[in-house]
Formats: sequence, structure tokens, C-alpha cells
Amino acid sequence: MVRRISPHLVAYGFVLPMFILFVLFRIWPAINGMLLSFQDYRFGRPTNWIGFENYDRLIHDDLFWHSLQVTAKYTLIYVPLTTVFALCLALLINRTIRGISFFRAVYFLPYITSLVMVSVVWLWVYRGDGGLLNSVLEAIGISPVKWLTRQNSVLPSIAVMAVWKSVGYSMMILLAGLKAIPPELGEASAVDGANAWQTFWRVTLPSLKPILFFVVVIETIGSFQVFDAMYVMTGGGPVRASYTLVYQLYDESFKFQDFGYGASIGMVLFLITFGVTMIQRFMFGDDNT
Amino acid sequence: MNASGRETFLSRKRVRTLAIYAAMLVLAVLMATPFVAMILMSVRPPSVVTLKDIFFSGDFTLDNYADNLRNDTMVRWFLNSLIYSVVSVIAVLLLCTMAGYAFAKKRFFGRDKMFWSIIAMLVVPGQVSLIPLFILIVKLDWANTYQGLIVPTIANAQGVFLMRQYIRGIPDDLIEAAKLDGASEWRVFLQIILPLTIPVQATLGIFIFLWHWNDFLWPLIVSQSEEMMTLTVGLSTLQSLVPSTNSMMAAAAISFFPSMIIFILFQRFIVQSIATSGIKG
Repeated sequence: MVRRISPHLVAYGFVLPMFILFVLFRIWPAINGMLLSFQDYRFGRPTNWIGFENYDRLIHDDLFWHSLQVTAKYTLIYVPLTTVFALCLALLINRTIRGISFFRAVYFLPYITSLVMVSVVWLWVYRGDGGLLNSVLEAIGISPVKWLTRQNSVLPSIAVMAVWKSVGYSMMILLAGLKAIPPELGEASAVDGANAWQTFWRVTLPSLKPILFFVVVIETIGSFQVFDAMYVMTGGGPVRASYTLVYQLYDESFKFQDFGYGASIGMVLFLITFGVTMIQRFMFGDDNT
Repeated sequence: MNASGRETFLSRKRVRTLAIYAAMLVLAVLMATPFVAMILMSVRPPSVVTLKDIFFSGDFTLDNYADNLRNDTMVRWFLNSLIYSVVSVIAVLLLCTMAGYAFAKKRFFGRDKMFWSIIAMLVVPGQVSLIPLFILIVKLDWANTYQGLIVPTIANAQGVFLMRQYIRGIPDDLIEAAKLDGASEWRVFLQIILPLTIPVQATLGIFIFLWHWNDFLWPLIVSQSEEMMTLTVGLSTLQSLVPSTNSMMAAAAISFFPSMIIFILFQRFIVQSIATSGIKG
């Protein structure tokens, strides 16, 4: 005979191990992240509630505005580039011909690697002397460029690397979207005498709009959190030209141990992420997330 | 449409197909070049530096790999990454399936509140909880330990959500029948729920592995001593220490191979799950 235990207790037995971990390591830290931004918190000192002082400091901190600007600039370069490239790749591989899964795999491969490994390889690609890119440029008669050590080329260079690394993800999302468009729509448009280009603008693109927007949102959120590549490749330089929000968050909290101030940068990041997500919800409902 | 019209249509189609192959090939070469260059450079002696020689010289050596693997710290980093990834995968899969099962099939007080408070964490970016999490780890005296590295990452909202959605699709009759046969709750879980969720476990497991293997910011903060670093963190400190770019490329390749093997083995799973669930690695 099976001993009868209250079904509630059994259910809690299954759910509590995960739920307790969640409360401890996700929910409480998320709440505490907000509370910390109103504190002056350093190790070995009593907690000090200081109201909006951290935010006041933030507003008057030139470095914060600079890193926010760098992050926004990076996003403005990265997001359109990766979205358009991902759409081109998805359109290209949205067909059933021989060898298509091989090409799909090659385009997707960089996505499963670490940004640190990618940065190590691309440090050599971008190197001023003897790097891959400059060697190719020199071979066709263009003088070498110091990609990562010039203030105006560092962000585009890192963005191109990031596009290469993660375009596969958006490509797969968009490919799924393309496959979901009923083929009759395209056929009807072709019967009406539209060429491929017109069909793309009149049928494909409008049907793809919600998914395209999802991709833009996901990529925007991701690029506002950019850090790894800068940490490995440039250390935020030259002259802080690639110093992003998360880089400042990292420095303030883990280098200077000014945790409250770091947390207020985290809150700015949260508000940006939340805002972007809400715009998507508002425009397309929540069935695409 | 007459016969000749059909034929020109076909030949136009053939030209188009060729153009598509050409475009795909050019893009494939562009996408693959950094990997190919990394591998080639890692098997050339350090004296080979020019691009032409890297691609076309016949010199071949495994010394760069041997140098890296002779370095005890490097081996330690590799093992740390493996521990971080494998232990997390097992813990996440087990606990997410258990929780997903309860959320999908059981009624209990506070179920929906618990579920939605977990799902709500999906919109909180990791960087918001990063600082409080670090403070918590320090207070628990877990800094620079495996448990400090692993335990906080087990709480995975995406995993709970995926599991609950999948288990909802399992017919209640199966569970009821097993219970009528006298199976205990735990046996129902082990003999019905676990086997039936293997496809989604595979998918989730692959992503959890890749996510941990490639993770950087969290290990960077938690692992303060050299022997607790993961491979990604170690790699980022290596640049000034290795003797040559070739050796650096071998180190990068060592960190690349495990994820490449996973990708080759499970390509279908990875591709499908992105298309159907939008899971992000």
C-alpha cells in the first residue's frame, strides 16, 4: 500500500527546491538591486540610506552620460546592421535546395562560441600590423587602419564582430517567421504580376513585421548590456571610446566597491530594458515573446 | 504557357539557383574565415606570422596545444568550466522538471503566484541582480568557490517555463493509471515524467551547457583566484602571458572545441528549439 501523504505536501516537495533557489538568488537580488540604489553600501560599513543621492550623482556624472552615449551609439550601429544582415541570410536560406543545412550551420556556428574566444581571435583580425583585415587590405593597396585603437573606428569594429558572432540567432528566428508565411500569399502576388522585389516589399515584409520587431527588441536589449568584448579587446578604450554602461557598472561596484552607485546604473539599465519590452508589448501584444 | 516559354523559365531558374549558391558560398567563406584562421594559426610554429604563410605554408606542429596543455593552470580552467557547465546542467534539468511537473499537473496553494513570480524574473536583466547576488555570495562566504559559481545560476526561469509548457501536454490518464497501479509520486516522476520529457530536456540541456561554457561576467566576479577561474575568464587574462599569437589561438581553439562538438552532435535540436521557442543561449 502506498502511504497517503497530503497532495499539497507532495506538490511542495517538487516545487520548493527550485522556488527557494529563485527567492534567494533571483527575486531577492532583483528587489535588493533596487533597494541598494538608494543606499551607500560598502563592505565593512553600516548600511546608509541616502534617498536619491546615487541618482543625483548619476545625473551630474559626466562619465555616466559618456558611457550611456557610447552604449546608445553602439546600439545604433549594431542593431540595424545585425537585423538587416540576419534578414538577408534568412531570405537566402529559406529554400529547400541541396546543401542548405550545411550553409545554415556555417552561418549559425559563431553563435555557439564565447565572446571571449571570439574577441581573442578578432583581436588578431583587427591588429594594426599583420592582422587578417589589414593584410588583406594591404594586398589590394589600401593602407592599414588601427581598427581598435582609433576613437572613431573602435565601436563599428566591435559591432561588426558582434554581428558576425550572433547574427545566426536572429537569422533562425526570422527564418521561422518566413516559413510561417502561407505560400499562397506570395503566389497570389506573383499571379497579380508582381516581381520578386515587389512581393518582398508588399507581402513578405508586412507579414514579418511582428517577428522583425521582436528581433529588434531582443537585439536592442542585448546590445545595451554589451561588456565582454570591450573588457577583453579594448579595456573600454581608447580614451574610453568603448566604455559602456555595464563597464561602468562593473568598475563602480567591483573595482571601487561602491555597490550602491553601481546598483543605480543597474536600475537605469533595467528601465531601458523594461521600456523597450513594453513598447513591443504595446504594439504587438504578448504572443510573440 | 507554351513549351519554349517553359524552357526559358527553367533556365532562368537555373541561373538564379547558381547565383544563390554563389552568394551563399561567399557568405559561408566570410563567416568561416575567422575559425579557419584560428585553427590554422594554432598549428603553425610561432615563426609563421604572415597571412600568406598562415594559410599556405606546409609547417604543421601541435606544440602550441602541448604548451597550453602542459600548463597546469590552463588544465584547471578547462576542468573548472566543465564542472561549472555539467553540474549546472544536471541541477537545472532535475529541478526545472520537478518544478515544471508540479506547476503543470498539481494543484496547491499559491501555485499561480509562485509561477508568475518566477516568470516575472525574465524581464529583469542579469546586471540588476548582479551586485546584490555578489554581496549575497560574499556574505555566505561562497566567493571563490564552486557553489558560489554554480548555485545562483540554477534558478532558471526559462527552464521552468519550458518544462511546465511541455509537461502540460502529457495526458493526465498516464499519470492516473500509474497511480492506480500503486506507483508512488516519486516513481511517477522518475518513470513517466522524466522519460517523456527527454526531447525538451535535451534542448534545454544543450543551451544550459553552452550558456555556462561561454559565460563570462558572473565567473569573472565570483572567481577571484587563478585556480578558480573558468576557461573564458582565464583566456581573458592570458593575452600578456602567452609566448605567441599562435599559442593564444591554440588556447582559443581549446575553448572552442567542446562547444563545436556539442553543435555538431545536436545541430538539429539547437536549430529547432530556437525556431519554436525563441530560447536564447
